[in-house]
Amino acid sequence: MFSILQIGGQQDIFSTLVSLIWLLLLMTFFLYPGFSQRIQLSYILRDLERKLNRLRMIDDDVRERTLRTLQEYAEANIDVKNELDRLVDSFVISPESMDPYGIVYKLEHIVNTWEDRFEEDVAKICSKADNVKVKTLTNLVEVSRGVHFIYRLVRHYYLLGKRTQNVYLVLQMQMLMPQIMEIAEAYRQASYAFTQGQPIGDGVGVLAVAKLAYGREKKTYEIVKDTLVHELEFDGRRLIIVRATGPGGAVGRPGEGVRRLVESEGDRVKLIITIDAGLKLEGEESGKVVEGVGVAIGGTGVDKYKIEEIARAKGIPLYAIVIYESITEAITPMREAIAKSVDRIIEKVKQVITEKIEEGATVIVAGIGNSVGIGVT
Amino acid sequence: MFPQRPQFKEFIQPLTHLTCFSCNTENSRPFKDGDYVFKEVEEKCPKCGSSKMLITGIYIEDRQIKERER
Repeated sequence: MFSILQIGGQQDIFSTLVSLIWLLLLMTFFLYPGFSQRIQLSYILRDLERKLNRLRMIDDDVRERTLRTLQEYAEANIDVKNELDRLVDSFVISPESMDPYGIVYKLEHIVNTWEDRFEEDVAKICSKADNVKVKTLTNLVEVSRGVHFIYRLVRHYYLLGKRTQNVYLVLQMQMLMPQIMEIAEAYRQASYAFTQGQPIGDGVGVLAVAKLAYGREKKTYEIVKDTLVHELEFDGRRLIIVRATGPGGAVGRPGEGVRRLVESEGDRVKLIITIDAGLKLEGEESGKVVEGVGVAIGGTGVDKYKIEEIARAKGIPLYAIVIYESITEAITPMREAIAKSVDRIIEKVKQVITEKIEEGATVIVAGIGNSVGIGVT
Repeated sequence: MFPQRPQFKEFIQPLTHLTCFSCNTENSRPFKDGDYVFKEVEEKCPKCGSSKMLITGIYIEDRQIKERER
């Protein structure tokens, strides 16, 4: 006679139960194909939730540090918390690209308006801070805004994936999370640097040209907002250095600066050299100095476009020197390897000038990057 | 048993490197608020006793990173 105990081919009740559970599981997977996906989804969501929680803590930490720093320079009657929230939640709408004609200038106008407004607002909140400090505090608020945006974006995809039970959406997010967490942690470290006005890795281009100009007789003036020019003689050549004004945190407008210089110098400019920090690939050495052709400038592309445009029109060769660093090294306090690359950069610049340019000609050397913690020489 | 508050990586304070105007001796100290590269500071040179020095660098040394990782 058939007995339930015969199902597993065993005679004891325990083995039969195990066999039944196995059978049930197999049938669940067979009859309900989405079951494995649901298990995977809940596992990914739990992992994302843990990381999102950490991101929220980073966001809170940076926000708190920014708030404390701004309060130091604000009058007692100002509601700094509210003002900071307003700045952190502010946004920029990029220009319409359906008709791309003139988009660079539209983008430049929008970015400049946003930067100016941001700085004015920080200056209004921190009325006790001087001009140099206001620039660094503006950078600090931008860091706070950046990390908050990352948190909001990850939260959005997490909640969307959870609500729609979309495993593919959360899976993509989970794959990106290691890099996102690294960037968020770099932002957290950057907030310390900007709170105290310490030089960051991105400033290596500015540091190199500052050192090149140091101790030499020169004429110094501001060509555009936050952008300085040093005019000096080097080995019989005329050297024009363009850099962001320091020691406050600023990147200046090197594109516009170089454009105006080339236009005023006529055909005397024979070479444009740009020096900037560049993202290294994994496994590459930080602080390695490499040479190339083109314009070494990151950001929105406006500065790069302006230099390329004027150089093409006047037939000026473009030379670039890049210093390898990771994204974390670029926005956190400068590392030894990067700081020590400055002497090698200067040697390369001198070599290029003496080898490629005849005596009496003019060369523009633009040191690109954030000038926080780097004084004017 | 209870979820632990995740620990943040400790922030490393960079060192300020100074060069004496009189004897060119280089020395370093922890970063102080208000320091910036190429700032002339009224600090005593540990070698010649001159009171004017130039900040020539502000950066995190490799050994500081190694110490944190240990």
